[in-house]
Amino acid sequence: MTVLILTCAEDVTADMVVVRLHESGVPVVRLDPADLTDSVALSGEFGHSSFHGRLWAGGRLVSLGGLRSVWVRRPGVPAARAAQPSAWLTEESGQALYGMLRGSPARWMNHPDAARRARYKPWQLRLAQDCGLPVPATLITTVPGAAREFARRHPDLVVKPVSGTHPQDPPRAVPTSRVPPEADFSAVAYGPTLLQRRVAKRADIRLTAVGGRLLAARKATPAGADPDQVDVRFAESPEPWRPAGVPARAAAGVRAYLRGAGLAYGAFDFAEDGDGTWWFLECNQSGQFGFVEVDTGLPIARTIAEWLARPGPERAERPDGTGAAVP
Amino acid sequence: MQPFALDYARPAGETEIAAPYVYDAGLQLNVLLDGRVAARDHALLRELGTTTSTAGSKTHFDD
Repeated sequence: MTVLILTCAEDVTADMVVVRLHESGVPVVRLDPADLTDSVALSGEFGHSSFHGRLWAGGRLVSLGGLRSVWVRRPGVPAARAAQPSAWLTEESGQALYGMLRGSPARWMNHPDAARRARYKPWQLRLAQDCGLPVPATLITTVPGAAREFARRHPDLVVKPVSGTHPQDPPRAVPTSRVPPEADFSAVAYGPTLLQRRVAKRADIRLTAVGGRLLAARKATPAGADPDQVDVRFAESPEPWRPAGVPARAAAGVRAYLRGAGLAYGAFDFAEDGDGTWWFLECNQSGQFGFVEVDTGLPIARTIAEWLARPGPERAERPDGTGAAVP
Repeated sequence: MQPFALDYARPAGETEIAAPYVYDAGLQLNVLLDGRVAARDHALLRELGTTTSTAGSKTHFDD
């Protein structure tokens, strides 16, 4: 049975997993939905109580019934590179591809429904609370007065995008940033604003969860670091990522989070405070992992490959020879 | 009329660097000019930053 990987060609992080799958002899079909109707094709026929779906990509053919798993990594917009792309064609292509894949018995990393929900940061914070993970005091508001009141109670704040996206017109980055004490919150009225109590951290934690396996890395905050440099993604640091153990409370919380979110993969960001408490910041359901593996040697790619390569669902043969997933 | 969070925005930084590898549809992997698999060269990946938590932020919001 085959592993289907949906990602763009330049995704060298996905390559780290493909290498492992090749080594173990597991068949792989990798395609970018952006290439639909160009170098990627699909066909699915619904007959008398049966369905046969197939995909073609790069000279390879795979039956949807023969998929053991689907890894949604960094797929492009469906049919974006078609000869005559359009929003309508994208919708048609997305409905056809993902709609047929949803009928496959394959396991997903991650299922599109779970992935979509898991991107909502407010939902993440609530789920983390429910799972017993410590969450810094947070306010999301368009009301300047609410922001001022929150700042009065929590004088040391950071601000970050609610969605995690960066504006593109023109291209800008919006790092998590410290809010100065004299900040004027009037502009909160012009867009939802996420304010959060700043954790005086002694380290950043990136915990990559693959199935039930937790692989954690820790980057210590350098002595004398500028407290205004909040966002580890944008701060220069001489400290490398190093492998880290996972406290029992955090491990239990992360596993509960994955169950609650229906995720097979999640990249969790925590801030470790002076007491050693891991404060939940966010969980990216398709977060990058290559940089952690490169720095730490943690076997993340191998663990993902092993999860994807696990046998697919047991199948019972129907009288017409087609397979049906056994619940 | 700019949202509060955008007061903290900064230029997106350097333009994308042309990667020294190309996708090989046969292997389903990116390969370097000398034919080696790019993903096996961790020193290169570290240098290019193509696997970092800000890579891909332009098109995907999963860092």
